[in-house]
Amino acid sequence: MCMQCGYIYRQELGDPDGGIPPGTPWEDIPEDWKCPECGAGKYDFDVVEM
Amino acid sequence: MTLDAKDLRLEDLDDLSFDAFSFEKLFSGDVDDPYPKIHKWMEQGSIIKGKYRDEFSKVPDPFYVDEEQYLVLGYDAVTKVLMRPEIFRNYEAQIKTLGQFFGEKVLTVLDAPDHTKFRKIFQKAFLPNVVGKWGDTIVQPVLDGLMEKFLDRGEADLIEDFTHHFPFQIIYRQINIGMDQAPVFHKIAVAQLLSAVGRPEGLEATEKLGKFFSALVEERRRNPGPDLVSHLANIELDGELLPTDVLIDFLRQLMNAGGDTTYRATSCLLTGLLTNPDQYAAIEKDRSLIPQAIDEALRWEPPASVVYRTAVEDTEIDGVKIPKGALMNVVLASANRDPAKFENPDKFDIFRSRKVRHYGFAVGPHVCVGQHLARVEMTRAINAVLDKMKNLRLDPDKPGPNITGHILRSPEHLYVKFDRA
Repeated sequence: MCMQCGYIYRQELGDPDGGIPPGTPWEDIPEDWKCPECGAGKYDFDVVEM
Repeated sequence: MTLDAKDLRLEDLDDLSFDAFSFEKLFSGDVDDPYPKIHKWMEQGSIIKGKYRDEFSKVPDPFYVDEEQYLVLGYDAVTKVLMRPEIFRNYEAQIKTLGQFFGEKVLTVLDAPDHTKFRKIFQKAFLPNVVGKWGDTIVQPVLDGLMEKFLDRGEADLIEDFTHHFPFQIIYRQINIGMDQAPVFHKIAVAQLLSAVGRPEGLEATEKLGKFFSALVEERRRNPGPDLVSHLANIELDGELLPTDVLIDFLRQLMNAGGDTTYRATSCLLTGLLTNPDQYAAIEKDRSLIPQAIDEALRWEPPASVVYRTAVEDTEIDGVKIPKGALMNVVLASANRDPAKFENPDKFDIFRSRKVRHYGFAVGPHVCVGQHLARVEMTRAINAVLDKMKNLRLDPDKPGPNITGHILRSPEHLYVKFDRA
């Protein structure tokens, strides 16, 4: 989850507009990928138990 | 003398007869439908000279008069401006408006690095896993309490009886103030914006809320409880408490923006559904459609039609030169109704594809901090309506709902008839 805005990355959906195909595991997302909601970096994401 | 929480009272406006809600309508404007004009602008280009407010309102903007202003139109141009916060900043664009209404340290006025630092703390209190827990404890009791007052009547104005109140009352519960103060809080929260139409009651409201929250924060630091203010007042950032002015300005904005936007969004959602009875019937039959109905309402009528940024250097978008100092009127409503992104964009259609992200909560570093709470509130509200009001339909003997306004849009009334479940 992005700690700057609360966006949740879901592997099954990916982020096609950001160049991340559906099914991409979190660890395979490039370090320069940006949160599609707020533009925060990958380092701003934490794993959160829902 | 030590103040106890129960002794804290918000001071009313000096002129008790002043009707803040009537003046609020001046700010909202009386335009029924700004979209034909927005579509015409989009045909002219993605960046054109103009002032959004002046196109729709006869009340002059007292703050941003001399700045060169541009309308930012369409999904791609809106994205380009809002995702480049290093060039298109908030401070210069908001200090004379939101900076005056809520205070110069409010998140919406700040830019990086302060915005990034403080936003993370506030957002933490409003993450989906946090606000999800408020559904049962805070949101539902407010909804039930309000609905109980009109369910036996078999008819209601869903705006005045319901949507206009519940998001505000949820905030009052979050900060744990006595519900007997609700009417004054609601009035003062709305009155804060009236500086925008030159009313002195705007500044008076801002000052009185500031005085109240200063005392409340001090009290909650001394005697913390389980409420939101206690949490924010005692949270530490690098070993220090959140600065008091940052917290007070946030609370002032929360009182207004947290209530006003959800009230309007829920009102538009219900209007969209009840004027399209087939779609209402569909969610009645299958409640898993509720999230997409909420997204469609937020796309169709975003809670704020426009947001502002200032170019802090000479730049260019889509071949149009933007000079340093230009005030960008970023029309979120145009992004959400961009025919290049959304087929038949003016139609309310809960079944449309959600592949393209709408900008109902904006996009970029200033994306709505309360969006997850708004979704919880709207989901609970529509479920409560489905649970308790059967055979719900527009009242055929009263005027149908009409969504009006140019920046903050919603219907004034939504008259319905129903059977109590």
